[in-house]
Parts: sequence; structure tokens; C-alpha cells
Amino acid sequence: MTMRRSSWSALGLSAILLVALAGCGGAGGSDSGKIEIKVATFGEFGYEPLFAEYEAQHPNIDLVPQVSDFEAHHKGLATHLAGGSGVADVVAIEEQYMPQFLQSKDKFVNLADFGAKELQGQWSPWKWEQGASKDGSFVLGLGTDMGGLALCYRRDMFGKAGLPTDRDEVAKLWPTWEEFARVADRFSAAVPDAKFADSAGSIYTAILNQSEENFFSKADDSFIADRNPNLRRAFDIAGSIGAKGQTAKVTTYTQAWNVAVKQGSFAVMNCPAWMLEQVKDAGGNANTGKWDVTTVPGNSGNQGGSYLAVPKQSSHQKEAYDVAKWLTAPEQQKKIFLQSGILPSTPAAYQAPEVVSKTDPYFDNAPVGKIYASAADSLRPNYRGPKDSLVRPKFGLALGRVEDGKQTLDEAWAEAVQQAREAVK
Amino acid sequence: MPARPSALPSTVSGSHSSQLLARIDGRVSPYLFIAPFFVLFAVFGLFPLLYTAWVSLHDWQLIDGDQGFVGLANYAALFADPDFYNALFNTASIFLVSTVPQLLAALGIAALLNRPLRAGTAWRAGILLPNVVSVVAVALVFGQLFGRDFGVVNWILGMLGVEPVDWEAQRWSSHLAIAVMVMWRWTGYNALLYLAAMRNVSRELYEAAALDGASRWRSFWSITVPGIRPTIIFTVVVSTIGGLQLFAEPQLFDSSGTAGVGGNDRQFQTLTMYLYEKGFGLFDAGYAAAIAWVLFIVCLLSALANFALVRRIRGGG
Repeated sequence: MTMRRSSWSALGLSAILLVALAGCGGAGGSDSGKIEIKVATFGEFGYEPLFAEYEAQHPNIDLVPQVSDFEAHHKGLATHLAGGSGVADVVAIEEQYMPQFLQSKDKFVNLADFGAKELQGQWSPWKWEQGASKDGSFVLGLGTDMGGLALCYRRDMFGKAGLPTDRDEVAKLWPTWEEFARVADRFSAAVPDAKFADSAGSIYTAILNQSEENFFSKADDSFIADRNPNLRRAFDIAGSIGAKGQTAKVTTYTQAWNVAVKQGSFAVMNCPAWMLEQVKDAGGNANTGKWDVTTVPGNSGNQGGSYLAVPKQSSHQKEAYDVAKWLTAPEQQKKIFLQSGILPSTPAAYQAPEVVSKTDPYFDNAPVGKIYASAADSLRPNYRGPKDSLVRPKFGLALGRVEDGKQTLDEAWAEAVQQAREAVK
Repeated sequence: MPARPSALPSTVSGSHSSQLLARIDGRVSPYLFIAPFFVLFAVFGLFPLLYTAWVSLHDWQLIDGDQGFVGLANYAALFADPDFYNALFNTASIFLVSTVPQLLAALGIAALLNRPLRAGTAWRAGILLPNVVSVVAVALVFGQLFGRDFGVVNWILGMLGVEPVDWEAQRWSSHLAIAVMVMWRWTGYNALLYLAAMRNVSRELYEAAALDGASRWRSFWSITVPGIRPTIIFTVVVSTIGGLQLFAEPQLFDSSGTAGVGGNDRQFQTLTMYLYEKGFGLFDAGYAAAIAWVLFIVCLLSALANFALVRRIRGGG
């Protein structure tokens, strides 16, 4: 009898286990009475203080930040959209991922349905267009920041190399990228044990970001990498600097790059607005005042910048839209710039007097507001196309092979073009 | 007080039904006891396997899902893809460079620990420590040690008068560095398994061997190794599967981080890294699923081959 009862109860127990297992996927809700809006971003968006402000204005809203790193954020977003659950209510999408997510726009809320089109005038036109479908009917994301280009350089190392250290003088050294390459030669001849730039890839990206078309034609998305002279020029200039061993061969964001910044392994880097925070983090207090900011050769360009979107999975789409709208409004973008130096994408914000007059003590009081605002005004955005992510890495890897001394510039180029052609076939 | 329900054994029908219940209980309960494993296996093992096979037969975008049935097209593309063979070669190479020395070293360490030692337990527990450390931490630390500019390994090599090695840039050096990470993590674990097995080898055999004048070396190869044959087979099969699925170490070794594809020339991209690139970098789930299935088959075949190979160790129980 006891035996039987215990075996029956064990049976019951395993049944409960099964039910519990089956119930694992069940949804759990928060019952605090407040509406919880999760905001997923990557890296540094400067949102923390703003969240508190928004919650104070909207007592029924509870904002929950979810911050991860760049790759993990976008890959996670894709996985969650595919899986049908787990996605945040407001998600950041970086411009290079925009074409990919625009192809899956049915997974997102059309922000135009909530009246986003009335806000269109806030942004530079290109910024708005990047976040919407080609015909403009579907608005996927509202623009946050942008990556107006500038260059960061080490004053002390330039001094050692006998180059001018004043930022206006340095700007005069390199009106064009060809001149920039000549400065690299001068620098390396004078200071042979230091590297000139961080990587060929970063120079290449900067040059490429000044050209309207990269790998695909703006008109019809056809593959033009093999005949776009701008692309080849960027590859040649950056690649020959790399081939001469004038780069430290460290990729932005990586541990090796952090160490190289801290140790002062290289003297110049491509510095979109959002990079300043990264340099401060990597360089630490010990490097205060050693870096400076100046203009980029060949006028301006854009590198990076994000959007806020609302996935359809969100159960509070309207509230999520309100949050995204508020966070991307010029007033908030201005605050973010003043706090964290992240460049606004709305002219009303980056042309505001307090933005233009901002200087940064870490970069020897460089007038970062003026530099980036003028970069923003003169920049020509570049067109990416939906297959951009398939081919872009091939050329980056090719430059890496040149830096490693494994291939000549021409060999690397030929292989990259061939791989790119295969990828878009 | 309400009447108690059927449990009363007095009536004929009552006892009949309880006998029936008992019989069902006897037949069904054992299966229910083992059911949790099979349910878990079905949910987390079998279903994903079959679902992956289904996905691999489709043009399947990660976000948008099914874009239509394409039959074996993904497999056809995969078998014509040079990057796939490159990844397959790298996987096999890193597997060989890490597993063979690792198991031999584990065998040696186990043999040493099997002898009377002062503070034996401390030693035995100590060799398991590397295995407890998170793989991410291991990869990050070793990534630093093998750093090109500021790495400790190059620093030591420099003191010996050797030129610094750009560990990541070359195929051989990157494979070696990754293999060192794998070895560091798993040698102790395998040594403990061997040690446990060695404890069960009969003492009398050693005594008899000693009486016959066999050397220590001889009795190790003729008694210990055959005596722990089942454990060796187990570790070889498990290491094979683990080695072929190698992901975290090489991915984190790539200085481009999770965006990396295993070096500028894909010189250390393993099969799982290629799967990750296709599935989560380029959102091509169908192709990634095809890679997953090929990887599954490769694991199966290598495990079988290794099993057959190791079974040839003579003797044993």
C-alpha cells in the first residue's frame, strides 16, 4: 500500500514536472501598475539621465534600459524578431543594419501610422530617408545621432615627428587624402617606432564615407564595386598606408585597440562624433590633453548613426512610439550632445549655440561642437543598398591581408571583388 | 461526514479496479519515471535536429522565415563553397593539434596522480580548476597572452631571442594558440576521468607484473591503458564532438570581436564560426542549417571512426 501510494505520487510528480516544463514558455507580466517600456541600445547612447526625466513626466511609464554591444545587439534583435518574442519595445538600429531590417519591415510598426511623418522636418533629409522605405510610405525608425567625420591626432607624437601640432595647422597638412598619405610617410620617417594610424580599414571607411555611392548604385541597386573609382581610390590610399606598415593593425572597439590607445601606439584615427567617448574610455585619465580633434581630409562625410524603431511584437506600441519620439526630439538630442558628445541628427539641435560652442577638455579643449556641426552641415550621405552587408566585409578583410603582408594591394583587390561578385550572385 | 470514495476495498468491483490500477501502475510507471529524460531529449535534442533539417531544405531568412522550398540547393551551394572547405580544414586541424596532445597529457597526469602523493586530493582537485573557469574568460585571457604587441608569450619569446609572432595572422600560429586554450581547459578534466578509471584497475595485475620484472613504463602501457579502455573511448568520442563544435575560443581570439570571421584570410574560422557568420551575420538561416547538418554528420562519422580506432587498444576487461 505504501509502496503503491509513493509510486503514484511519483507519477504525479513527473506529471507536474512535465506540465511545468511545458509551461516554461508562458508569458509573465509585470503587475506594478506601470507600463514597462524596454529600450534596447548598444554602446553609449547617453540615455540614462533622460530616462529619469521622462519617467518624472510620465508617472505611468517605467523605462527599462537594455544595453549590449554593437554586434550582440543587432544579432540578438534579429534572433528575437525571428523567434517571435523577447524583443524590447524600443530598439536602436544602426545605419549599416538599416537596409537589412528594412527588408523585414513587416516585423516593425510603421511609425507613420502614429503620425511620424509630421516630424519629418526635424531631420536632415538624408537621415530621414535612410530610416524609411524607398517610396517613403513606411517609416521604420526615427533618427538619433549621426557620425559627422573628423580626425583625432596625438599632439605629442606629432610634435616628436616635427609636424605641426596646432589643429588648424594640422588640418592644412591634409586637404586631400593623398596629402594625408604623404603626412603618414613624413611621420613614419621621423618616428619609426610609432605607427601613424590605427588601421587601414578605418582610413578606408572614412574615405568611402565621403562618396555618395559605395558598392551599389543608388539608382537601381546594381553591383558597382568593380567599377566605382571612389571605392578603388579609398582601397588604394588606405591599403598602401597599411602595406607600408604605417598602421597599428587594431580594429576599433576591440581590446587590442583599447590597449593601443592607452599605450599611444598610433597617432591618428578616424573620429566620428561618437568615437570621442570611446577614446576617453580607452585612453583613461592618463591621456587627457594628449589627443586633439581636427577636420578630415576631403571635406566631411558621415559614419554611423542610429535610429529608434518599434517592433510589432511590442504590446505597448503607442507608448513605445511616444518614448522614441521624445528621445529623438531636437531638445533631447541637444542634451545628449552636451552631456556625452553624441552628435545630433536634427539641424535644430546641432546648430544650437550651446552645441556649437562646446569644447572638450579631454581633447585639449578642441571646439568639438564647431567641428562636428560644420561636418554635419557639409556632409554628403552615402547610399548602401540592401546587399551592402554581404560585400562590405570582403573589402575590409582584403585590407587586413594587405596589412598582414600576405597579399599585394592588387591581389587583395582582385580577390575581394571576386568574392563580392559571388556573394551577390 | 461525507462518505469516503472508492478506496474501500470491501466491494468486489472496488478490489477489481484497484488491481487494474496496480497492473497499469506496474506497466506504465517505469516508463513515466524515465520519461523526463526522453521528453527533454525530444524537446531539446530531436526536435531541433529535425527542424534544422527542415529549415535547411528552404530558402530561409532569419527574420522573415520561410521563403520557399529549395530542396538540396543549400547543400549543393555548400559543397561548392571554398569557405566551407576552409572552415572544415581549420576545424580538423585545430581538433588534431589540441586533442591528441591533450589526451596524452591527461593520461600522463593521471598516471602521476595515481601514485601515492602528499596532499593528493589538493592536486587532484587543482587540475580540475581550469575547467571551472568560464570559456569566455579563458579566451579573453589567452587572447591577451598571445597578443601581438603587448602579449606575454611574445615577451618571453623576445627574451629568448625569437622574433615576435603575430599569432593571429598566420594559420599555424593561430591554430596553435587556440589549441593551447582548449588544452588548458580540458586536460585536467580528462585526467580526472582517467584517474577515476585507473583506481579500478586491479592491484594484483601490477603486483604480478612487478614479480615478472616488468618496468613501470611497460606495466603502464600493458596494464593501465588497456584497463581504462572504456574511459579512453569515452573521452575520445566526447573530445571529438567538442573539438568539432569549437566556437567560443576561436571567435573570441579574433581581434575583430564577434564581427570577426576568424582572421583576414579566414585562417582560423571553424565550422561553427562559419555557421554563425551565415546565420546570424548574414541572416541566411537555410544555409546555416545546412552547415549544422553537415557538421552533425561529420561529428557522427568522426566519433565512429575514433571509436573504431581506439577499440583496437588490446586487452581490457
